[in-house]
Amino acid sequence: MAGIKIKYTKTERARQKKILKVSERMLPLFEAMEKSLMATINTIAERIEQIREEIEKNRIAAEPWTAVMSDSLVNIDEFISVNKIITKTIDVAGVRVQQYVKVDFNVMPINEDTPLWVDDAIELMQEQLQLLAEIECLKEQIELLEEELLDVRARVKLFENRRIPNAKLAIRKIGQKLQDDERLTIATAKVVKTSKLLEGKL
Amino acid sequence: MVYLMTSLPSLSFDQAPPISINEFNDEAKKQLSSRHFKLLQSTDIQKLETNVGVKSISSLLKDIKEDLSEVRKAKVQNRQAKTERLPNAALRGNPLERELNIMRWQWQELQDIEAGKTFSLTEVLVYKLKLQLVTRAFSFDEKQGAKVLASVVNPGKNKEDK
Repeated sequence: MAGIKIKYTKTERARQKKILKVSERMLPLFEAMEKSLMATINTIAERIEQIREEIEKNRIAAEPWTAVMSDSLVNIDEFISVNKIITKTIDVAGVRVQQYVKVDFNVMPINEDTPLWVDDAIELMQEQLQLLAEIECLKEQIELLEEELLDVRARVKLFENRRIPNAKLAIRKIGQKLQDDERLTIATAKVVKTSKLLEGKL
Repeated sequence: MVYLMTSLPSLSFDQAPPISINEFNDEAKKQLSSRHFKLLQSTDIQKLETNVGVKSISSLLKDIKEDLSEVRKAKVQNRQAKTERLPNAALRGNPLERELNIMRWQWQELQDIEAGKTFSLTEVLVYKLKLQLVTRAFSFDEKQGAKVLASVVNPGKNKEDK
């Protein structure tokens, strides 16, 4: 409030009252939005953790047979690659984010002479790549939600620390000034009246 | 052919290959006629080339090809595979066990084919196929396999690890 010039008028007081009313109405909304964003971010972080556990579970389940992937006759990375991660736009806690739908894979056709393990390896790799793609989408969601959270927190602070206290102070100061002015006017009028009365007696 | 076969080390499915495929090919090229060497080159356990000049080997490779195809079809159709030659027992276990079972079965079939065919073209062709089998079996390595999986599934992380 320091350094801000206040117009000590009734109009200004009315304006400050309006600012206070709007700010007090908006603050709970932003606080609710902050809570909602935090809860959503936590839920997404938990989901990422679940997916990571699933990936690890799949890796451990495949561990007894991953040795076959070093087969001198097969180059497994030629069989599968990610073409595109397909997502759709959704609204999460008021923020537009990309939700994972599926992964579009490039899978090389398997010939009759391809060893049978290649089929299992492709299945495992597809599963793991899908889970990893989902994690990437969720991480991007968290980034966007965190940006929004910072913005909402800044607004909450603005209302809590600046707008509401400033408006309250301005209203109080204007009120005091207007009251002082009123008293001064009355006192002056009384002095004038007394002076006139005294002049009349003389 | 006699000189070639006597100069080659003996093979065992459970022991590391004592000779590489390239060393074998170099030796064979020196000792075999161009016609026989051409036949040897076209014989391949992986490519399952079925026109290799020796009926029993051609028939084995053809049957393997058909049986693998049947196993795949059965999997898609969610039914028990009806293989012609490959025993169902070989298809049990995880992918590594199954691959080794199939290879061990192929090894035994090849041993049956070469029985009594000492110093013949059949023996040379079987030697190559057996060498391919054992070379392949010994290429299966847990650490390398895990690296291959990681390179496909998580290439970024794999680069970081390096």
